[in-house]
Amino acid sequence: MRISSNTIYDLNVSSMNRQQTQLLQIQQQIAANRRVLTPSDDPIASARALEITQADSINTQYGTNGKTAAGRLSLTEQMLGRVMDLVQSIRQDAVTAGNGSFTASDRASLAQDMQAKYDELLTVANTTDGEGNYVFSGFQTDLKPFSATASGVQYLGDDGQRLVQVASGRQIAVSESGADVFTRVRSGNGKFAVSAPTANTGNATYSQGTVTDATLLSGHQYQVVFAVTGGATTYDVLDVTAGTTVAAAQPYTSGASIAFDGMSLEVSGTPLAGDVVQTDPSTNQDIFKTVSDLIAALKAPVGTPVQQARLQNSLTDGLVNLDQGLNNVSAVRAGVGTRMRETDDHLSSSDDLSLQYKKVLSGLQDLDFAKAVSDLTQQQTNLQAAQKTFLQTAQLSIFQFL
Amino acid sequence: MATDIFGIGISGLQAARAALITAGHNIANANTPGYTRQLVDLSSATPLGTSVGFYGNGVDITSVQRQYSQFLSGEVLTASTQSSSLDSYYSKIKQLDNLVADPSAGLSPAIQDFFAAVQGVSTTPNVASSRQALLSSAEAMKSRFQVIDQRLAELRDGVNSEVSTTTQEINNMGAQIADLNQRILVARSATGGKPPNDLLDQRDQLVANLNKDIRATVVVQNDGAYNVFIGSGQPLVAGMLSYTLVPMREPLDPTKLTIGYRTSSGIVQLPESNLNGGSLGGLLAFRSQSLDPMQNALGRVAITLAETFNAQHVLGQDLNGQLGTAMFSIGAPQVNANLNNKGTAVVAATFDSTNVGGLTSSDYRLSYDGNNYNLTRLEDNTTRSFAAFPQNVDGISLALASGTASAGDSFLIRPTAAGASSLRVAITDPSKIAAAAPVRTAQGAANFGSGTISAGTVNSLDPNLQQTVGITFISATTFNVSGTGTGLPATGVTYTPGQDITFNGWTVQISGAAATGDTFSVARNGGGTGDNRNALALADLQTKKIMDGGAASYQGAYASLVSRVGTQTRKLEVTSTAQATLLEQARTAEQSYSGVNLDEEAANLIRYQQAYQASGKVLQVASTLFDTLLTLGNR
Repeated sequence: MRISSNTIYDLNVSSMNRQQTQLLQIQQQIAANRRVLTPSDDPIASARALEITQADSINTQYGTNGKTAAGRLSLTEQMLGRVMDLVQSIRQDAVTAGNGSFTASDRASLAQDMQAKYDELLTVANTTDGEGNYVFSGFQTDLKPFSATASGVQYLGDDGQRLVQVASGRQIAVSESGADVFTRVRSGNGKFAVSAPTANTGNATYSQGTVTDATLLSGHQYQVVFAVTGGATTYDVLDVTAGTTVAAAQPYTSGASIAFDGMSLEVSGTPLAGDVVQTDPSTNQDIFKTVSDLIAALKAPVGTPVQQARLQNSLTDGLVNLDQGLNNVSAVRAGVGTRMRETDDHLSSSDDLSLQYKKVLSGLQDLDFAKAVSDLTQQQTNLQAAQKTFLQTAQLSIFQFL
Repeated sequence: MATDIFGIGISGLQAARAALITAGHNIANANTPGYTRQLVDLSSATPLGTSVGFYGNGVDITSVQRQYSQFLSGEVLTASTQSSSLDSYYSKIKQLDNLVADPSAGLSPAIQDFFAAVQGVSTTPNVASSRQALLSSAEAMKSRFQVIDQRLAELRDGVNSEVSTTTQEINNMGAQIADLNQRILVARSATGGKPPNDLLDQRDQLVANLNKDIRATVVVQNDGAYNVFIGSGQPLVAGMLSYTLVPMREPLDPTKLTIGYRTSSGIVQLPESNLNGGSLGGLLAFRSQSLDPMQNALGRVAITLAETFNAQHVLGQDLNGQLGTAMFSIGAPQVNANLNNKGTAVVAATFDSTNVGGLTSSDYRLSYDGNNYNLTRLEDNTTRSFAAFPQNVDGISLALASGTASAGDSFLIRPTAAGASSLRVAITDPSKIAAAAPVRTAQGAANFGSGTISAGTVNSLDPNLQQTVGITFISATTFNVSGTGTGLPATGVTYTPGQDITFNGWTVQISGAAATGDTFSVARNGGGTGDNRNALALADLQTKKIMDGGAASYQGAYASLVSRVGTQTRKLEVTSTAQATLLEQARTAEQSYSGVNLDEEAANLIRYQQAYQASGKVLQVASTLFDTLLTLGNR
């Protein structure tokens, strides 16, 4: 075939051009340490890399969120622990106060001690976190949630729980509403509460009562009304709500249980005619009221057997309500603990996931260095060969001999 | 006898001289673009008939011919117009490829940072710094959108100016070809039909250059003149006449410069689909197949993000307790009325907030035929007809703002073209970020049952959204709802634990056992500065599959844009390389016939030098013979 002199130059130049382009590509890959320099190098991998990068960045964000959540939960948990310690210690005081040999001054100092704990309880309930947000105020983090008023402590916050996104599709509650912790506490044994009117003239005391058959509970108010005829004490059980008599003229024995409509309670001591022991369905009573009632009872004078019985009954009320409060706080605390563990799980799986994403990303776009360097050397050799042969062929010309 | 030998010798000298001249000319033009090597056609002269036979009469120079093959050159033209089209397309799209290349500088880190800031607000909703960070990253994301869009606009301007200069070049070449047609005709007739080789080369070179700009077909006339046609058969050169192309504004989209053809009755727009090949064809293809779709796709991400984010943001409550306002502002879809419209109709387009996911990155052409409007989606050429406005199509709502349309009127609707450039952050006050939900729920303090109420979600902006609504159980299985709003008050609603209770634009669920007299309430979330429910809902948008009718997240849509650019670039890289090889082969084949080989010319120089010397010898011999005759008389 006839070859045009220009063709020799053109072909060699374009061939060296191609090789130089490839050489440059490899060199740039090595410089950037990336196999995929522009999307056109591997369109699928680059699109995939974008999505993995986003997944990784979201995962990192979830990690950060998880740490925030863990911090908040741990603060809440600490505060709840403090609340439990305080309530337990108040309960201890209440048990001690039942000691019959205590003098008025003993009770006064106990009341003082309890008052200090009450104040601390209120302080804990109004705790703020590192950012100055109230921990137990629901959504209204700028609002001091518990405020002492003449009619007791008022909860001003709301029922909101703050959430933190710790994983895809998982938002964890990192706060507890003050209502759930402090104020939404069932009174009595949780189903009904026993009480005695202050007008009672006997020294009867009552136990906190138990539920014997939950299916029979009516949610009504009952009164056990005592009567004394000829030295024998009897009692009637009235369903006040329904206006009916459940049991009439039952003989009374001190300490024996009085049972009706699924409920049972014991009355001890000597009730006088007209004395009443009453049961009401449980309502919500906040911890602060429970404690302040106890303090008031301890401060009340105890001179007569009637007053003695009143103190005893108040302590019974206080203990059962404190137990309810403790149960409530411990249930909330258990929930917080579960969420702390879950947050930790999410945190560690977020770390694993991050590693996983990095691996995938590296597989998608990172350079195989050994291969690249070997390619570079090969390409270099090829180019040099092309350059040398070009010089030699270009020198071949008859004109050199003319 | 001797005079015959003189004649033969002289003809040999002349032939050798002609061949030497031609070889010299070939050597001199070895590197001239478009030059084809020339050869001297020789033939032996008419012999002298005598009674003893025919005596040779020397050599005749018939003509000087160029070694030109219409077929091989045609191959080169075809390959070269395709190759320069692909090259110009590739060199442009490579810029898009580089634009979206850097994973740390593209749009996706900006979107990620923005949503990371939303998450930041969700964890610390009432901290000023996290709110400020969200606004800053929203601004950063906006500018990233705009930087990319700006770069695309620059590329579009570049295409416009190249269209204009290339048109000028094409016109110049057309005029030169027409001029050469004439000069060749004159030269040919002046030499009695001998080919003016160098003029022919010049003309062929012009045709080759013209094909680098646009595909042009040549029809050779009987008199040797070239008629050149472009597009769908528009003559650029007819004999000695040339016609002109005019860069003109596209009547439906004045931002685009396209090609018009000047006729006696005015300027006619040439359909771009017919203008292929050459760098102009590559430019136009780049604009319509890569640049516009990319700008639209980018705009679509911006619009969907802004619209969906806003839709959620207005359902929230800001730090001041006010309902949220739009976080972003975005321009309405572009509607361009054809400059040649006869009617007065003004068509208005808005985004259809109920179908943001249906938005496509296509442009639409709306035309009126006198009875019906035909809306064509240009991406896939599907048409739907309707007789009257308003219409909701693919995430946009079309309405007739004023006037009436005449038959033949058309409009170009570009829903997403200005999306990225018109994106703005509408909020400057960090406290206006609506991180909280506008309502909160509460359960009555004296509730006896174990029922709990969920925090509630807000679905729509009802005028009574924040009205206090109370739910009171009148039995364990039924409740009454009090308050102001549609369907309120409601009595005796059956209670199913966990079921949605929806009023006034919110939904809550009550679960657990309820007791008679239990109360729950939904009310304005006054002072709810620590509430982050709306921020969480906003953050959720990052991975929500909203776009493409629910198939892709924002990031997914952007990734598919990047992938599309990458695939197109890759394809062009491969085809343009392949085409370059094809061109190289065609050129080698053409050059092997028409090109100059210097060794060959060197050999020719030696050959004809010797032929010249030999002919000189013939003359010398003839002279000696003559001298012999002259000296005869002196004896």
